[in-house]
Amino acid sequence: MTTTSIFSDHAARLRQFMARSLAAPEPSATVLNETFSQLALEWFALQFQHNAAYQAWCKSLEASPETVAHWADIPALPTSAFKELDVTSISLAERTQVFHSSGTTEQRPSRHFQHAESLALYEVSLLSWFRACLLAEVKEKVHFLILTPPPSSAPHSSLVHMFETVRRELGSAQSKFHGAMDATGAWSLDEAGLQAALQSAMDAAQPVMLLGTAFNYVHLVDRLALEGKIFNLPPGSRALETGGYKGRSRSLPKSELHQLIGERLGLAAEQIVCEYGMSELSSQAYDVGPVGAESSSQQARRFQFPPWARVSIVSPETGREVQDGETGLVRVIDLANLWSVAAVQTEDLAIRRGDGFELLGRAVTAEARGCSLMSANR
Amino acid sequence: MILPNYFLADLPPEATLSPQMIQEACQTLKRNREQYLATRSTPQMVKLISELAENWLQPDYPFRQFALEHGPAATGFAHATLVRGLDAFFQELTRENLHTLVVHELGHAHRLDEMCATAAEARLQRAAMVRGPELLVHIASGNIPNPTLLSIILGLLTRSAQFVKCSRGASFLPRLFAHSLYEADAKLASCLEIAEWRGGDIALEDPLFAEASCVTATGSDETLAAVQQRLPKSVRFLGYGHRVSFGYITRGVLSGFGVKKIVVRAAEDVISWNQLGCLSPHLIYVETGGSVSPDQFAEKLAEELSRYEVDEPRGQVSVEVAATISSRRDFYRVRASASSETQMWSSDASTAWTVVYEADARFQLSCLNRFIYVKAVASLDEALNYADAVRGQVSTVGIAAQDDEAQALSTRLGRWGVTRICPLGQMQNPPLTWCHDGRPALGDLVEWIGWEQ
Repeated sequence: MTTTSIFSDHAARLRQFMARSLAAPEPSATVLNETFSQLALEWFALQFQHNAAYQAWCKSLEASPETVAHWADIPALPTSAFKELDVTSISLAERTQVFHSSGTTEQRPSRHFQHAESLALYEVSLLSWFRACLLAEVKEKVHFLILTPPPSSAPHSSLVHMFETVRRELGSAQSKFHGAMDATGAWSLDEAGLQAALQSAMDAAQPVMLLGTAFNYVHLVDRLALEGKIFNLPPGSRALETGGYKGRSRSLPKSELHQLIGERLGLAAEQIVCEYGMSELSSQAYDVGPVGAESSSQQARRFQFPPWARVSIVSPETGREVQDGETGLVRVIDLANLWSVAAVQTEDLAIRRGDGFELLGRAVTAEARGCSLMSANR
Repeated sequence: MILPNYFLADLPPEATLSPQMIQEACQTLKRNREQYLATRSTPQMVKLISELAENWLQPDYPFRQFALEHGPAATGFAHATLVRGLDAFFQELTRENLHTLVVHELGHAHRLDEMCATAAEARLQRAAMVRGPELLVHIASGNIPNPTLLSIILGLLTRSAQFVKCSRGASFLPRLFAHSLYEADAKLASCLEIAEWRGGDIALEDPLFAEASCVTATGSDETLAAVQQRLPKSVRFLGYGHRVSFGYITRGVLSGFGVKKIVVRAAEDVISWNQLGCLSPHLIYVETGGSVSPDQFAEKLAEELSRYEVDEPRGQVSVEVAATISSRRDFYRVRASASSETQMWSSDASTAWTVVYEADARFQLSCLNRFIYVKAVASLDEALNYADAVRGQVSTVGIAAQDDEAQALSTRLGRWGVTRICPLGQMQNPPLTWCHDGRPALGDLVEWIGWEQ
């Protein structure tokens, strides 16, 4: 088998696992665990062999496929490695796309290289879990109002690519990007177009789903407040919000932002959904579980990845997994990261909640270069 | 020991301060000053302060015992770190040093007491005295307690009533010191107030600023600007912005038996107050070409920090701090896995200490809490080139150099813009006569009254 066909074979098996893990009847936890564990170890062996940067990292930790027997012991590569190194098994010639981290405060963005096959797997992962968590009861196409700029303006944003994929595959014909990018790279909203779309949704009594970042929503609710406008979106409407302000608007506590979104758009708390994702990963977590699973509204909202991505919350002090209810750093093993590295160590702090987590946010001054004198503050 | 409710900071956490309480406290302080403090002489104050400092150095002094017993929980500093920090501070407060401070900055031992003249002034038929502010307000920073304690000492010398506003959770040691002063001289302590609230509380700070004659503030540039902007025009403002510091080691001292001593000194600068003060080093520049190379020095420093962790452990940090350290370590571990230009040594299964060696000599701010960079340079000029990003914001450079090199190095550093040069190992132990941010600490507080005879 050639290297290309080995990866293709792995991708095919992962697609099978994805399909089976979400199919009815739901497989038992034991079956899911065993399959995940087996695949994760195989992924590790493959990536160790074909990804030079990752192999060097593992060797520096004295870990290799020979020494790792459990998926939880697979060395997690820090997200900062995506800034410093080429974390990929895709050769230079084969790379057709790259996703960058979006932080404006960072001097050097993360780079997650893609090609047609890796993007295809990314999209299967995205769409399967998005459908399961957000559209399980929705049969028809969805009217998406997307608050970010379109892919033509932000070709390297994995978030915009995500929204575009969702629009293309799951959206109705009216679905549209309502954001724009100005000359400085700042994102803004086409307020008039967006408000017209909101109004026509109300007039037609057709539900919509808004997709955007936290700061997109701040721009929206601030504008609506300024104009004294309130929309009462039709039943079945939702807003998906993904975290992070990155200095692009005033930042609000999540509860306050959600309250404002609720007030201005007429949405109840359970109609506002949060997404957790990053350019270094190929799967996303949502703070609503798949419909039909144990009711997530009964518990505190927590983020959950699909069955092919597992999260552990590790103590920054000891590196060991924390107990339920304790705080630590988010570590993800995302099998959909086939051509890069599945095990990724993020700089995000979260509280462990069962098999999910409650996000607290980025550890301050995690960025080593370019931090300000403020880091001298305690 | 139970601390009675003498100060606002003694009130139980559920008690809320009101603007009226602050205003009344300020007026009481001024009245008490008039009655109990304004009439004291400098020798009386020096005697009192030096005896109090001596008490603090005694192992069986109840306030010291209380500080060491409850300090780790209250401040986050381990017992040994507190011992080291408090000892270094109170050892400086001798009668002789206090006297020297007055003479050094004001020219005459009686300057704070009466019209007096130095020989030079006498020749010109002039005399002068100085007057301290009536009510001195300190907006203290939360990092480490020493600067706040020193501010109180200086205010006592200038016979000012003082109101010390501590950051949230940072009043423990200032408060204990105030209680020890109360025990030594209750009337003097009635001219001092200690309170704690989150900075920027306008309702509480407006009445405070309205009553103040002079305000000192320590903190970020933003904090200082915010405070200064809200002061009435008549109030004098002394702002101490955040500064950074670094170490510099020449190749000449990196050979033979001396190396071990240098490594220990560097380690002491890193562990003092867990590196959290403005005078603590973010990084140490080490010259190439000595018999110990910069990366070898880094490794030795790591070994030393590991030894110190046994007797003077860093202690607990918040999960946010641990996450910052852990993420930074990851960053450098990634680099180290890809290139020998970066190396890292760190404590096992904890974030207690970290040494990062980089051949890249660009100045790098540490995340502190015993996280130190060692960087290789060929010369001081090269180091200063790389440190250009922090030029004008450097307080202290701790140097280890041969005697015949030190003069030229210090002059070069002074011209470049640092305000204090000291031996490595002494970075967190400035002398009493230290010029804070290049300004005379006592001299900046007072106003002069000249008498042309």
